[in-house]
Amino acid sequence: MQWMTLFNKEMVENWRNKKWIWVPLVIILLAILDPISNYYLPQIIEAVGGLPDGAIINLPEFAPAEVVMMSLSQLSSLGVLVIVLMAMGTIASERKSGVSELILVKPVSYRNYITAKWAALLALVWAALFVGLLASWYYTNILYGDLSFKSFLLIFIFYGLWLTFVISIIIFFNTLVKTPGLVAFLSILTIMAMSIMTQIFGHILEWSPNNLSSYIYEMVIAGEVSSDLVATSVITIVLSLILVFASIFTFKAKELAS
Amino acid sequence: MSLLTVNNLTKTYDGKTAVNNVSFEFEHGKCIALIGPNGAGKTTILRTLAGLLKPSEGTIHISDTSLNDDVRKYIGYLPQYPVFHSWMTGMEFLVYSGQLALLSKKQAKDRAQVLLEKVGIADARNMRIGKYSGGMKQRLGIAQAIIHKPKLLMLDEPVSSLDPIGRREVLTLMEELKDEMSILFSTHILSDADEVSDALLLLHQGNIVESGSMTALRQKYQTSTIALEFESDLPSYQAKVNALPSISGSYLERNVLQVNATDIAIARQELLATAAKENWELVNFTLNRASLEDMFMKVVNS
Repeated sequence: MQWMTLFNKEMVENWRNKKWIWVPLVIILLAILDPISNYYLPQIIEAVGGLPDGAIINLPEFAPAEVVMMSLSQLSSLGVLVIVLMAMGTIASERKSGVSELILVKPVSYRNYITAKWAALLALVWAALFVGLLASWYYTNILYGDLSFKSFLLIFIFYGLWLTFVISIIIFFNTLVKTPGLVAFLSILTIMAMSIMTQIFGHILEWSPNNLSSYIYEMVIAGEVSSDLVATSVITIVLSLILVFASIFTFKAKELAS
Repeated sequence: MSLLTVNNLTKTYDGKTAVNNVSFEFEHGKCIALIGPNGAGKTTILRTLAGLLKPSEGTIHISDTSLNDDVRKYIGYLPQYPVFHSWMTGMEFLVYSGQLALLSKKQAKDRAQVLLEKVGIADARNMRIGKYSGGMKQRLGIAQAIIHKPKLLMLDEPVSSLDPIGRREVLTLMEELKDEMSILFSTHILSDADEVSDALLLLHQGNIVESGSMTALRQKYQTSTIALEFESDLPSYQAKVNALPSISGSYLERNVLQVNATDIAIARQELLATAAKENWELVNFTLNRASLEDMFMKVVNS
């Protein structure tokens, strides 16, 4: 089956260029950075010194739910940046280098070509997110207090939707322009613009994908999945699918050589 | 029944016309060369036929394909500078291309083995393409273009980047492939076209300025001259030559007398007969046939 051929090629490529090693490592690092550094902050301050004698350091105590949010906020900023840079050339650089001139004169369906790339990126990002959050969950449990495995799984699934949306945006811009740097710029611009819009028009954009993190926080605190979280998830999935369809459509309309 | 019919193909980029109202037909089992200087529109035509560009106007039709059929199944294409996934081995790339062209994994593997032998890079089958030399990449490029046994093979400047040995090998390979499929290739090296193609399409500034079989074009643009060299006293010989009825004119080019004639066969006979009779001190007698270059210059300038 042609789709599997294309998907396998992406998987092998991402394995050979070590993306399957470094992407999970970076995500793990980002996920455990804040939980660990916050826990050891008193010792760090003491070791560095610089505080006058008698100064009292009052550091807040963090609840497990807050610790998880620290991980997610790192992933939402630096993590997203890393994912954008990692995926910015998935189609664009093939077109720029000219490999696509060989591939796309074969009877390759554009739908297969794009969805295979999308799926291969999702596999990589979801796997990286899984190990990253697993590490964060582990440190939360030993350093801060109990967080159930079920909560961890729910956080993983709902936050994975946000990254799915990010990947879909990157794929879309990959079909639109063929300079990887420009793909990265446009993707980040879009994510930032959406975030600002969500903040300004918060009352009407209740279910914007950018709100996923805050609903996830509420879920961990309340211990149950709210209808807002479900609605936001559905919106996120629908928007991702629309972006993928739009990518196929744009790609079909494009001339593949310049 | 023609394999490929191109009607009034026009391609414009940002208001500039790269290909202007080009029409031609292509029969099964032929090898046609697109000839033209750089920028004549050769690559644009090939890319449009391969589906990488969309025609601004005009139609392309490949026989035996219905409207909904994917024509890419029937064509093989090698761009001028083929780029591969350099992290793959030659074998992997061929199997990958074969599978994309809807062969089963087994079929693709078998075909890849055969083709690696055929194009002469079987020893490098398990080497990363990143380490291939230019000539090896060109061969791999040909192999991937024919992996699915296309009806029409299109090659963009297949030999111009190769050294003389590689050039010879690729031309021989094309000669062999002619039995299995029709070939359309572009080149600006006229002797290559002369060697393998059955017919020529001469392109200039996006227009087809001349087309036809090699022999037909030769005859049409035949402007043979006879070059004569003498031991001494050229001017007096020139007068004698000009006096012959079959000679239309002559001019001196350094120590060589260039003679034009309307009918070269009669002129040759007359010249040699007179030379023998009058004991001319003839040093050299050469019949110059028009080269493709001359022909090309003539067509382009007219």
